[in-house]
Amino acid sequence: MKILIDIVESLKIAWSAIIANKARGVLTTLGIIIGIVAVTTTMTAFNGMQAAFRQGAAAIGADVIYVSRMPWIVMNDFFLFRNRPNLDLAEAQALERAFERRAIVNPSMHNRQDLRFQARTLEGVDIIGTTEKMPSTSDRMPAIGRFIMEFDVRYKKNIVIIGSEIAADLFGEIDPLNKEINIGRYRYRVAGVMEVQGGQTFGGPNFDRQVFIPISTFVKNFGGRRNSDVDIAVKAPTIAGIEDLEYEVIGEMRKIRKLRPSEPDNFSINKLDSLLGAFNSVVGAVLGIGLLVTSISLFVGGIGVMNIMFVSVTERTREIGIRKAIGAKPRSILMQFLFESAAICLIGGLIGITIAAGLSVAINASGLIPASISPGIAVTSIVVAIVVGVFSGLVPAWKGAKLDPIEALRYE
Amino acid sequence: MNNRASDRSILTIRDVVKTYQMGETYVHALRGVSLDIRSNEYVAIMGPSGSGKSTLMNIIGCLDVPTSGTYSLDGQMVAEKSESELAEIRNRMIGFVFQTFNLIPRADIFHNVELPLIYGGVPRQERRRRTERAIEQVGLADRMKHRPNELSGGQRQRVAIARALVFNPSIVLADEPTGNLDSKTGDEIMRMFDELHSSGQTIILVTHEDHVAQHALRTIRLRDGQIESDVRNGDVQAA
Ligand SMILES: Nc1ncnc2c1ncn2[C@@H]1O[C@H](COP(=O)(O)OP(=O)(O)OP(=O)(O)O)[C@@H](O)[C@H]1O
Ligand SMILES: [Mg+2]
Repeated sequence: MKILIDIVESLKIAWSAIIANKARGVLTTLGIIIGIVAVTTTMTAFNGMQAAFRQGAAAIGADVIYVSRMPWIVMNDFFLFRNRPNLDLAEAQALERAFERRAIVNPSMHNRQDLRFQARTLEGVDIIGTTEKMPSTSDRMPAIGRFIMEFDVRYKKNIVIIGSEIAADLFGEIDPLNKEINIGRYRYRVAGVMEVQGGQTFGGPNFDRQVFIPISTFVKNFGGRRNSDVDIAVKAPTIAGIEDLEYEVIGEMRKIRKLRPSEPDNFSINKLDSLLGAFNSVVGAVLGIGLLVTSISLFVGGIGVMNIMFVSVTERTREIGIRKAIGAKPRSILMQFLFESAAICLIGGLIGITIAAGLSVAINASGLIPASISPGIAVTSIVVAIVVGVFSGLVPAWKGAKLDPIEALRYE
Repeated sequence: MNNRASDRSILTIRDVVKTYQMGETYVHALRGVSLDIRSNEYVAIMGPSGSGKSTLMNIIGCLDVPTSGTYSLDGQMVAEKSESELAEIRNRMIGFVFQTFNLIPRADIFHNVELPLIYGGVPRQERRRRTERAIEQVGLADRMKHRPNELSGGQRQRVAIARALVFNPSIVLADEPTGNLDSKTGDEIMRMFDELHSSGQTIILVTHEDHVAQHALRTIRLRDGQIESDVRNGDVQAA
């Protein structure tokens, strides 16, 4: 009860002190504002990148191995990979036979072509030739219509399933189902529209701007030598089996390619894990820079608040004397000033969060990463602001609490 | 009625010395003061400037502690108390009235008077009741929401008196309470002290003016940090 009364009084004092010194308070909180913007934006970016990664991960699949000519992330030894032979469909089929009934094996090929519907043209769209097994390796389903079926592949049907953004851009309000579109020089009938995947991530592929056609049709229409590079997805029966599967796939691929034991692999195994390293280094850099900016500006801001609090204590020396004379304990005075500096920083923090919220909307709009301030981030930032306030108020508040009442009363 | 409670000594001061050190030199503000004051006494402390009046008042009010000697207030030895305990004693037992009023300028009258109760941890409801009663007692009920700078000097001193009384202190200490007031307003304030005294309050005040001291029933004169004389006002008149 007693402490509560003390706290309420401290809050009132802090409030009136801040009201009395508006301009000065806002100026000193500039450092705090910048610091809180930095910490909030960093956390938001971090969350956004993780969300983006998770989204991408869902499309890639944690239990799927991709066999390709090149690794997804080529650091510096590009020349090592340049002379590798393309993976071709025959090899994909051989692998499929080897894993029959043990794992799902799905080949796909891709290419860029112009899409046209009536007068509307979309240039350089990602065309993926694949099979009916793609939805089971990648968790991606059509929202309306259907996906590629086995007989589409067998009979080289000219059907296409389009991504959600493609549907919107090409057809607008028109229902795309069963409409005829042109892919390059060839006519295709739209059989389905994929569900929304959630935009572009990290400059990686935009899954909503891809279109899918049967791989056999792809080879027939676009399958010149240049385009015959196949990616093979192999889905493990369980996520725990992915390690074993990887070795088996490597073994089978080496057999298919008749590699001697002394020869290195001339293909690459890609999986979610191989993206994780790259992801972590990007995230690490963002976090590092964010933390640096945050701590520098909070430090500078904290020094500013400390100075203001010294001024505040000095200005109110006489008031401190009065309060002590009528019974304020050192603890009460200490609390009064700690509340004041915490409140100054809290106001700075709230302004900072508001600015950061605006920034996150802008970042979101830029499409770089999905960013939105979560309640958890806002609460963390507020706590950070208050902690900085308490720390920067500590020394001045202590000075005030330790003032000799008689000296303080005599001050003018 | 005035003599009923006066058997009990409310404060006892023995051989109190207060020495201030200023660099190499020592200022002896009090050089061995002994004094008893009983409950419901009405005491004026007089003496030339620099004789140690304020120093003595500060020690009585537990704002300061003696360099040597003992001081017990209501049976408690003040020298043994921590800073925080002294604050509690000031809060519960002492009501200060200063020459310069010493109100908090940014707080309204109500809040100024309420403050000792806040530091005493009194719950809100009771705080309100007591604060309003104290303000009514000094006749400023219509000024509760005003700030100190909107009041006259006399009114400010009445606010200070309300603040001093709000927590029912054992002693009211007033260091030159009329020093900043014209004589008419000063008389009003002194009449207020007289009333307080006749309702049983113990009062110690410092003054330079004889006609102010006349209100008290006992006059202690200090000179060079020592008690020069200590007389009952009746005796002076009788002599
Ligand atoms: N903090 C201090 N440091 C040094 N000397 C002090 C201090 N406080 C008081 N003194 C000295 O102690 C002596 C007594 O001072 P005090 O204030 O008690 O006098 P006073 O009787 O109240 O005088 P006045 O009538 O002018 O108010 C003076 O010589 C004063 O200069
Ligand atoms: Mg004095």
